[in-house]
Amino acid sequence: MSSPPDSAVHVRDVVHVYGTGSDMVTALGPISLDVPRGSFLVIVGASGCGKSTLLRLIAGFERPTAGIVRTAGAAPVPGTGAGIVFQQPRLFPWKSVGGNVELALRYAGVPREERARRVPELLDRVGLHDVTRRRTWQLSGGQQQRVAIARALAGDDPLLLLDEPFAALDALTRERLQEDLRRVSEQTGRTSVFVTHSVEEAVFLGSRVVVLTSRPGQIALDLDIPLPRDGLEPDELRALPEYAALRATVGHAVREAAG
Amino acid sequence: MVTSTAAPTTTVPGSGPASATRRARPAARRIAVRVLAAAALLGLWQAAAAAAANPAFIPSPGAVWEQLLRLSTTHDGVRGYSGSLLVEHLGVSLRRILIGSAIGVAGGLVAGVVLGTVPWIRVVAEPVVTFVRALPPLAYFSLLIIWFGIDETPKLWLLAIAALPPVAVATAAAVHGAPAHLVEAARALGASRRDVIRDVVLPSALPEIFTGVRLAVGIAYSSVVAAETVNGVPGIGGMVRDAQRYLQTDVVVLGLLAIGLSGLLIDGLLRLAEKRLIPWRGRS
Repeated sequence: MSSPPDSAVHVRDVVHVYGTGSDMVTALGPISLDVPRGSFLVIVGASGCGKSTLLRLIAGFERPTAGIVRTAGAAPVPGTGAGIVFQQPRLFPWKSVGGNVELALRYAGVPREERARRVPELLDRVGLHDVTRRRTWQLSGGQQQRVAIARALAGDDPLLLLDEPFAALDALTRERLQEDLRRVSEQTGRTSVFVTHSVEEAVFLGSRVVVLTSRPGQIALDLDIPLPRDGLEPDELRALPEYAALRATVGHAVREAAG
Repeated sequence: MVTSTAAPTTTVPGSGPASATRRARPAARRIAVRVLAAAALLGLWQAAAAAAANPAFIPSPGAVWEQLLRLSTTHDGVRGYSGSLLVEHLGVSLRRILIGSAIGVAGGLVAGVVLGTVPWIRVVAEPVVTFVRALPPLAYFSLLIIWFGIDETPKLWLLAIAALPPVAVATAAAVHGAPAHLVEAARALGASRRDVIRDVVLPSALPEIFTGVRLAVGIAYSSVVAAETVNGVPGIGGMVRDAQRYLQTDVVVLGLLAIGLSGLLIDGLLRLAEKRLIPWRGRS
């Protein structure tokens, strides 16, 4: 049962069940999905639709109850092949900001001299300057999440998984981070899977949006987002008539799917 | 009475002179209150000594002060107490405490990590640790003397055994309760099992481990008198014991004061080290 050759993520007939006996809850599936290399897939759904479960399966933190999950053609193992950003930054408070990124580079097998050079580079890329020596708790929530993204990019993994990374941030900060993430994803060209409950976020970020039904999560809508990926300012993009139309379509599907 | 309730002073560098003076005033008041309390205690002691009128029962502060001077110099060809000055007695004991608790802390750390990470060892060994913790040091000292003689070895063993359990228990609990979300984050970055223990589990356990260390040093401190009951001179505990035999109550009191005050000092140093080593304590 091989996955298509250009598929970065291959999900086939996956069902995931939590608990046993009378406590059994089918969180997800059956669901099949292929994410082509280089695309930016956003999974949208109301809370409890199993979208985070799907991401954890792709990350390799959990094994599906039934079905097959493959990343780059193999069963996923955490820490190999995918950078992950969680809803909370999950920075290590005993390390400085730079130390957090440095640790990620070390785990990725980057030699020491190169690490010193790449830490500020990675932080620059997510829009942070002169924070290398700061303590993590001296940063704002948005800045902390930027560090978490830099950390996830450190491994140069072909895949980036993001689990509602901006949900806990205020609206303005969230918009900034969305714009920067879009830019970073265009520059690095890596495959991304982004989970959110925000329709706005999905249409803005995704090259493709998948809407999940409420539990057990199944695909309610699978939509390509034919918006230009570069050459437009974020505000120009948001002002496009197609943008509003797509937002309406996805928003409608999400409401329908939630039941 | 010795536990100081340090005000939660923020340690933001360059927080301005205004906040510095704001902090200075309560600090000055705290010191004033402490000096006052010490003076009151001294007065009470003096009154009690006068009322008892029996220096073998309650020696006066003056008599203890005189002993301090006598034990810190050579008088009539006699050097300090039993040939050693007070500081030398104290120094020998401190050295024993240092070595003993260093061994105990090291052993407790290893034991704690193993207890916290390997479930079946935890099941087997946890009652043993609790058992040892319940034993008064004097109880197993006899056994140590039979095994190791009466020189330094049994004393160091005693202090090490007394210091080990608090560190082991604190470490085990902290390692066992390592924050799962950070462990998962490290695994997502590609950390191996060893990386996770070194870079996440141990650092996250450090604040609790340090509390265990402070406890351990305290226990080693209070056990030093027991450790020095046999062939303990020079040593502050041996000195106190000898003085008790000859009813030199003022020397006993002086010895107690020396132990207590140096204990306060050591705990203060440990607190300072804690602040420097664990700046993230209470943050996340």
